[in-house]
Amino acid sequence: MIGAIRLFAIALAILTLVYFWLSIRQRWRARNRLEEEFDRGDGDGDRDTYIRDGMREYEGSLRRRLILAVYIVPLLIVTTLIYVTNFM
Amino acid sequence: MRYVKWTLIAAVSLIVFGFFHYNLPQTDVVRISDTYEKRVDPGDNSWFWAAPDAGNANITNRDVFFIQTIQQNGRPMVYRNEDTGWGWPPYFKFDTSNLQTEAADLKSTSEAPKWVVVKHYGWRNEFFSIYPNAVSVRRVDSPDVTIIPWLNIVILILFALVLLRIYRMVQRFRARRIDPLLEDVGDALERVGDTAETAQERASGLFGRIRGWLGTWRAKS
Repeated sequence: MIGAIRLFAIALAILTLVYFWLSIRQRWRARNRLEEEFDRGDGDGDRDTYIRDGMREYEGSLRRRLILAVYIVPLLIVTTLIYVTNFM
Repeated sequence: MRYVKWTLIAAVSLIVFGFFHYNLPQTDVVRISDTYEKRVDPGDNSWFWAAPDAGNANITNRDVFFIQTIQQNGRPMVYRNEDTGWGWPPYFKFDTSNLQTEAADLKSTSEAPKWVVVKHYGWRNEFFSIYPNAVSVRRVDSPDVTIIPWLNIVILILFALVLLRIYRMVQRFRARRIDPLLEDVGDALERVGDTAETAQERASGLFGRIRGWLGTWRAKS
C-alpha cells in the first residue's frame, strides 16, 4: 500500500507542476492571440475591454479544460496497464 | 576535444540504449521445462531484483518464483517471476502467483514440446545472478510466430519526438543567444589582433567554439 501511496504522491506532484506550467503558458498565448487580433484591426471598441472579454471567454473554453488531460491521460494509461498485465 | 565529445555522446547513447533494452518488454518463444522457487538475498545485484509481492512486508530477502525454460536453439533460459507492484519498471504486475500457476500448467517435455511465448523485461547474466522478469506466458501452436512489438514502437517513436523537440529548442536558443554573443566577442578580438580570425575558423559547433575561445588565451608568438 505504501508503494501505491508513494507513486500517486510523486505523480500528483509532477503532474501538478506540468498542469500549472501548461495553464500559464496557454493563458499567455490566448492573451497574445487576442492582442494580435485587435492590433490587426479585427476587434472593435476599447483594446483593454476587448482583451478582458476575450480572456473571460477563454476561461470557460474547452481548450482550457483540456489541460485537465494532464491528469486523466496518465491515470487511463496506468489503469489500462494494470488491466492488461494482470487480468487479460 | 573531438574525442572527448564523441566519447561523451557514445557513453550517453549506450546508457540510454541499455535503459530501454532492460526496461522495454521483449518476447521469447520457449518451452517450459519446470518451475521452482528459491530464497534470494539480493546483494550487489539488488538493482536487478524487483519488489516483494504487493502488500507484503518490504524486506529484501525473500522467496522468489523462477520459470525454467529451453529456447528453440536448445539452450536454457531461466526467468524470475516477481511482482513489480507500484514501483519501477511500470508494468504494474501483481499477478505473480497466477503467472506461476499458468507457467507450471504449460510444462512440457522435449519429446512433446508445447511452445510458449514469454513476455519479459530484463537481462540474464550468470556472473551477477540476474534474471529477466517474466510478465506473461501464452501458448502458441508453432514456434514460428511473428510478434510485432507495438508498445515498443510507440514508446520509441514518442522518445524520438521528444529528443527532436529538445534538439530544436537547443538550436533555437543557440541561434538567438549564443551566436550573437560570439559575434560580439569576435568583433572585439578583431580589434585586438588577427588571432580572432583563426580562432573563429576553428569555431564550429559548441566544442569547437570552446576550443577556439581557449586558443585565444594562448601566448602569441
